[in-house]
Amino acid sequence: MVDLVWLIPAFPLAGFLILTFGGRRLGEPGAGWLATGAMAGSFLATVGVFLEMSGRDGHDRRSVTTLFEWVPAGDLTVDVGFLADPLSLTMCLFITGVGALIHLYSIGYMHGDGGFRRFFAYLNLFAFAMLMLVLGDNLLITFLGWEGVGACSYLLISFWFTDEANASAGKKAFITNRIGDWGFMVAIFMTFSTFGSIAYVDVLDTTATGTVATSTATFIAVMLFVGAIGKSAQFPLYLWLPDAMAGPTPVSALIHAATMVTSGIYLLTRVNPIIADAADWVPTLIAWTGAGTALFAATIAVAQRDIKKVLAYSTISQLGYMFLAVGCGAYVAAVFHMVTHAFFKALLFLGSGSVIHGMDGDQDMAHYGGLRRLMPITAGTFVIGWLAIAGVPPFAGFWSKDEILAFAWNENPLLWLVGLVTAVLTAFYMTRLVILTFFGRRRYADPRPDEVEAAWASATAAADAAVAAASAAVDAATADAEARGDDLTALEAVVAARDAHEQAVAARDGILAAAGARPEVEAIALEGAPDVGPVVDGLPEAVSSRADHHPHESPWTMVLPLVVLAALSVLGGLVQLPFAASTRRLEHWLEPTLFGNEVHLSLQGGTLWVLAVVAVAGGAVGILVAVLAYLKRRVDYRVFERPILAEAWRLDRRVADFMGGPGRVGFEATANFDSSVVDGAVNGVATMVRSEAGLLRRFHNGLVRTYAAGIGVGAVGLVVWFLSRTSF
Amino acid sequence: MPVLASAGGDTFAVLPALVLVPAVGALLVAVLPRRRPELLKLVAVATSMVVAGMSAWLLVAFDVGRGADMQFVFRQTWIADLGVQWLLAVDGISLFLVALTGVLFPIALLAVDPGHDDRAYFAWMLLLEAGVMGVFCALDLMLFFLCFEVVLVPMYFLIGRWGHADRAYAATKFFLFTMAGSALMLVGILALAFLHADATGGGLTFDLVELAEAQSLGTATARWVFLSFALAFAVKVPIFPLHTWLPDAHTEASTAGSVILAGVLLKLGTYGFLRFGLYLFPEASHHFAPVFLTLGLVGIIYGAVVATMQHDLKRLVAYSSVAHLGFIVLGTFALNTEGIEGGLLQMVNHGVSTAALFLLVGMIYERRHTRQIDELGGLQKAAPVMAAMFTVVMLSSIGLPGLNGFVGEFLVLVGTFNAHRWLAVAATGGVILAALYLLWAYQRVFHGPADGGNAEMRDLNLREGLVMAPLLALIVAMGIYPKPVIERMEPAVDALVAHVEAHVDGFHESTSRFGADIAVDSGEGHDADAGVGHDSDGVGDDH
Amino acid sequence: MPAMATPEVLWWALLPLLILSVGGFLLLTLASLFRRLPEALPQAWTVVTGLAVLVATVPMWASVQADGPRSFLGGMVAVDGSTVLVTATLAVAVVATALLARPYLRREDLPGVELYVLLLLSAAGGVVMASADDLIVLFLGLEILSIAVYVLAALHLRRIESQEAALKYFVLGAFASAFFLYGVALVYGATGSTRLARISVHLASTTLVEDGMLLAGIALLLVGLAFKVAAVPFHAWTPDVYQGAPSPVVAWMAAGVKTAAFAAMLRVLVVTLGTHASDWRPAVAALAAASVVVGAWVAVLQTDVKRMLAYSSIAHAGFILLGVQAASDRGTAAVYVYLVVYTLLATGSFAVVTTVGGRGDADHGLDAYRGLARRQPVLAGAFTLLLLGQAGVPFTGGFVAKLGVLAAAVEGRTYWLAMVAMAAAAVAAFVYLRILVAMYLEDPGADSVDRSEVPTGARVVVGVACLGVLVVGVAPGLLLDIAADAVPVLVGG
Repeated sequence: MVDLVWLIPAFPLAGFLILTFGGRRLGEPGAGWLATGAMAGSFLATVGVFLEMSGRDGHDRRSVTTLFEWVPAGDLTVDVGFLADPLSLTMCLFITGVGALIHLYSIGYMHGDGGFRRFFAYLNLFAFAMLMLVLGDNLLITFLGWEGVGACSYLLISFWFTDEANASAGKKAFITNRIGDWGFMVAIFMTFSTFGSIAYVDVLDTTATGTVATSTATFIAVMLFVGAIGKSAQFPLYLWLPDAMAGPTPVSALIHAATMVTSGIYLLTRVNPIIADAADWVPTLIAWTGAGTALFAATIAVAQRDIKKVLAYSTISQLGYMFLAVGCGAYVAAVFHMVTHAFFKALLFLGSGSVIHGMDGDQDMAHYGGLRRLMPITAGTFVIGWLAIAGVPPFAGFWSKDEILAFAWNENPLLWLVGLVTAVLTAFYMTRLVILTFFGRRRYADPRPDEVEAAWASATAAADAAVAAASAAVDAATADAEARGDDLTALEAVVAARDAHEQAVAARDGILAAAGARPEVEAIALEGAPDVGPVVDGLPEAVSSRADHHPHESPWTMVLPLVVLAALSVLGGLVQLPFAASTRRLEHWLEPTLFGNEVHLSLQGGTLWVLAVVAVAGGAVGILVAVLAYLKRRVDYRVFERPILAEAWRLDRRVADFMGGPGRVGFEATANFDSSVVDGAVNGVATMVRSEAGLLRRFHNGLVRTYAAGIGVGAVGLVVWFLSRTSF
Repeated sequence: MPVLASAGGDTFAVLPALVLVPAVGALLVAVLPRRRPELLKLVAVATSMVVAGMSAWLLVAFDVGRGADMQFVFRQTWIADLGVQWLLAVDGISLFLVALTGVLFPIALLAVDPGHDDRAYFAWMLLLEAGVMGVFCALDLMLFFLCFEVVLVPMYFLIGRWGHADRAYAATKFFLFTMAGSALMLVGILALAFLHADATGGGLTFDLVELAEAQSLGTATARWVFLSFALAFAVKVPIFPLHTWLPDAHTEASTAGSVILAGVLLKLGTYGFLRFGLYLFPEASHHFAPVFLTLGLVGIIYGAVVATMQHDLKRLVAYSSVAHLGFIVLGTFALNTEGIEGGLLQMVNHGVSTAALFLLVGMIYERRHTRQIDELGGLQKAAPVMAAMFTVVMLSSIGLPGLNGFVGEFLVLVGTFNAHRWLAVAATGGVILAALYLLWAYQRVFHGPADGGNAEMRDLNLREGLVMAPLLALIVAMGIYPKPVIERMEPAVDALVAHVEAHVDGFHESTSRFGADIAVDSGEGHDADAGVGHDSDGVGDDH
Repeated sequence: MPAMATPEVLWWALLPLLILSVGGFLLLTLASLFRRLPEALPQAWTVVTGLAVLVATVPMWASVQADGPRSFLGGMVAVDGSTVLVTATLAVAVVATALLARPYLRREDLPGVELYVLLLLSAAGGVVMASADDLIVLFLGLEILSIAVYVLAALHLRRIESQEAALKYFVLGAFASAFFLYGVALVYGATGSTRLARISVHLASTTLVEDGMLLAGIALLLVGLAFKVAAVPFHAWTPDVYQGAPSPVVAWMAAGVKTAAFAAMLRVLVVTLGTHASDWRPAVAALAAASVVVGAWVAVLQTDVKRMLAYSSIAHAGFILLGVQAASDRGTAAVYVYLVVYTLLATGSFAVVTTVGGRGDADHGLDAYRGLARRQPVLAGAFTLLLLGQAGVPFTGGFVAKLGVLAAAVEGRTYWLAMVAMAAAAVAAFVYLRILVAMYLEDPGADSVDRSEVPTGARVVVGVACLGVLVVGVAPGLLLDIAADAVPVLVGG
């Protein structure tokens, strides 16, 4: 079975090919089912391989299956081969498992979309690339998958390409990733020129013997790290991930939460011997980058109103945890958190997708509220995901995060502190998200601030018009009266008109006064629907139409995956319980791939308990504060939602400004240089040839004497030359 | 060392046929009855198909077992008293360029119709093919030079008569620029031959292998002669800053013209460097390598940056060629197997991908009558198939693993890294830029809302699809399974590298190989210094 | 009285000369006897004469190759390979010119006969130059040739330019001839003989104590010859004369006169004064460099096609000098190849120019060639081939010719000259491209009235020229062998 490992990527590849070339006939939902089936098959294959592999003992849990030689050039030989070992299989299990669920979910989510078939083709292609990434038996195959998932991510982010924003987001993601890929490629070159091979088996075994110069190991490790932060959206290369939310929500769940973004962590775990041989500052750098990113992203998540943006930043933050773990040498913890995160973050994204689906594509949480009655299953499963990520025992997230924090403490209490603060923030913003979405008032029928504004504006405008009309009537009446020579009835008419005018003015003043005194409409109307006072019937149609439309629960294809993932989010912790060696199944399973580079905790059981309690307490605090702010409204939520946070510390804009400003100018300058200087030089030569020739032409003025002079001079010149050669 | 084995075993003189058949076809086209215009294209396409068939046969019949030997050797004295001969042969280095030529011409002929003066058009195209085949097969320096020069004429007319608005300027610029470049090479060739004759006391010969193996020139002389060759090739490649004929020529040429220009003619320079520069003047090549490596690097970055800022789709692709050819130059002058092989692969790949790009751009132009990026947009809605093809070609040009563009680029960089670390590290940055300009262009052309003509642009028709299909197939096939290509190139490349090493003293010190860094921690940091130190003296001996 | 020994005469070797001169005089007589000659006769007569010479050269060549070169008429005249080859070339030029002349004369309605007569006579002069074995004889030939050509240039009675050109040519020509004659005198003074063979033997056997006189003589001989081949700085007359003179005549100047003059130059410098090569080589090299550069460079500015071709002929002269200055057999052979090829190119090109020039022989601006490819595709195609040949594009005779002289220069280690020449060639290419652009890439100008049919004579000339250029370009072997066998040798003494 193990040598059938190639089946794992083969299934999605086949799916992709069928959908691309044979797919015209199977439209919706056939295409979706085919793709899902491919993923399911891939999952089964994985399970098969896994079962056999798990039967073996430590040192046998590694098998290389080579399909064919890919690039045999000079001393370099790269095969298309698969390395099946605990690490890659763990990855495959959740990639194919979660992947299959998300495929299923997409059938419902993408219902009625014009690009239904294209979507699933891309999705399968992505799965294929992702599996190549983790199964590749050498750096180059991994790189193939690495770039492949990047490309698919590009295609899927800009899936709805008619919207410029989506297109730009896709491009941004690809290019930002390329910066990381640069590091990856350089690392490959260095590996090759150091070991003469880039196959993991050779490289890692050689390195594990500790014979590689520290400087070399450091160079490779750092370059791979650069690649990893690109793919896994760590500071400073995280900028693309929030924009990537432009893609369909299942894509966000699969690619930008569960699988692709974790490949950075996978890569670093894979090459753990190199990191081990690298200079000591390398792991420290990794750890601090992770911790820093985790905290940084969490602060931003606090103030986002777009539900997917919150989840995006939360993903960045959680990935930070995993880097922190890797940096602390806690590879098992990293993988552990990767798995549980895959479960609950996929769940959360799909849940949010279900909500968005129910809300007709509206992603602004300010318009949600009290949806739990309307979409009970979504709400229920979402709550589980929330508890899991918030680190509430016994949900999956608690165990993995707790383990990471323990290792952080073991490494450096400061790291632990950062991690703890992040945990508190996580609990806070996730609670905020849940409350704003599922609890409190239903706000979807509320008039929105801009609508209220519009209403007021139109009201005042109407009043002004009335006044103008009235005054016109007065003038008319007056004129009429004079014409009629102060006839009595005419005069009465004038008086009446004047009264009417005064009333109109009074009415207008009333409106203006009310407008001046009207309560400013809240961004998120927690207490009650914004008071629109006298202009209530001036609101646009949209408001009333929203009022009689009701958000609805999603079809079963979407709900079923939610349920399954919820279950996994509850039980995920079981694979690695810290109580006894026997319960640390994951650690035992991964052990052969870590070459003994897994750090061992030097902490007493007591300390661990304390740390755990503190962490849980922290989580509780976060939840409590959020509840007070958004549900009980004891605290004004504006205290937390600072503009600077809402704008993600304005970093993104800074970069954009630079690219659009100095960056662009530099490029323009180069282009001008080419057209003016380089090409100018060429044409300059041409013109010079012509102009200089002008001088020569003066000689050919048609005058015999000039010509004769030419002959004379020439003759003299020749004579002089020859005489200079005489031998006396 | 390549041996000029006798033509034994080769069933028929296929190489002369490769040169003559198109030439005859051209004559045929020229004399076809005026009453039957429809025959013109038929004959032209048929001829090119025959040539394609023969080059395909060449691929099959090429004997991998014979290593670096020259195969299908054809030898026929031509100008006796100058010792010039029709000496044709192929080895792993030229084989695939011949094949590429064979493939691209039928495609170019089928893809687009000239619109006017068909007779002249098809005749010139076929003459061009004959000339190019001659360049890639010639092993006699003089014959090579003749073909190298003569291709200018058909290309001149193809650009000048069937090109776009500013074609006269572009054509003249192209002709003069490249002719001026190669003017000195003729002197160089003659000097080489005469000096060789003096040194050996033998008669005059332009036989490449004989001249190269003899290495009868003094170091200083060889360097001068090398420069006379290098100038000609540098213009043809083109190497920065000699590139400005290229954007004009590509932009103004008709679609078919651009396809051939980018697909085949741009390879003449890089091929020349490999076949003649390195082989004839190993020492000089090594001596001047830092210059060309630097210029190659500049070309990569510079070309990409300028491409990003273009408003004309064709110009953009043209500048992207400057960048891609920078990679080839880099690989060539890395002077090791990986680099040179990568360069060779890149020649073929660039030929395929860029040809495909120009075809697609041409199809867009046919429909929208503009190449201005700003006037296009949202085409993917109306033309999904075209968009899909464009995406694949684009990704291949970006160098996405699994498509053809990657393998060559990667090998080039690996080779360069082993020879000049920091150059490679910098050059890899070009990979980022490639994504930048292509994706940006794609976004502006295919994504976003579509208005007016862009909204109802029609998608590819069957003929266009069939024209594109073989190119796309090649793009994928050579990305997934390049081995057959590589293993045919390898012996020749190895021999070339060995030749260079043999004639450069201290060659090995100048390139770091593996093992250099596997040392117990005592050697800590040594390799980085080695890298830096090496590179600095590498750049040091520019002058 | 003592019987004088009459010098030996090889009549067969004098045959070409006799045919030409007799033909010329007979034609003249006929013309004066009969007022009304059939209009076609003079041309036919000339063509036949020319062909007769051509035929005559065949057995001459055979016998020369068999029994080697001979000197006779008391060592005044010699016949060797070069004599025969040059004679043949001149004959071709004569035929071509004659073919072009008739339609031209008819178009311009000019009195016919003179042109043919003068043509034959100047050709005779050329033959004398080619077979001269004595400086005096050489001078005679030079003058016969030149004077006839002066008159030819003036032949277009109604064009003032024609008259002016003739006058300029005459004045300057006389000036140059004077130099030449003075050179002859000095060389005689230095060596005590005017016979080439004696001179060379003398110089080979004895080393002059004072060679100043000899060297001055060489210098002046060089001036005279350089003027005839139109080498810079003795070239200035060329553009004006080419522009003014009747186009067919120009064809003869470019082809015939150049050929004869270079033949003479080779006899004098390379063969006779070979011993002093080290002295004159640098001078000739300098002339060559100056010619290629100035010729190519100034041509760039011209807008009149005839002037363009004039300057390009100067550049070609420079290239041929490359072969001369090599002072080697390879160089000499290369010169002959170049001369043959250039004869083809020049006659062909000027045939086109004559046709396009139109009535009044004035339409030589680039505009006249606008869109020629549309109006007369075949003519344009042929002109294209000829121009590419002049540019030295591979697989045309032009390339073979350039290659030969270049090889000679490189073999002679004058790399700098070779490079200068190639650079200049690249510049010159621009000139030819401008004509191509006009013909193909520009729409017919306002006056795009479809020109009358191309006269048969022109067709033949152009056709033959193109064919020759191609054949030489693709299969140069035969010509190269002939040229190699034509290297002049001095006998007698």
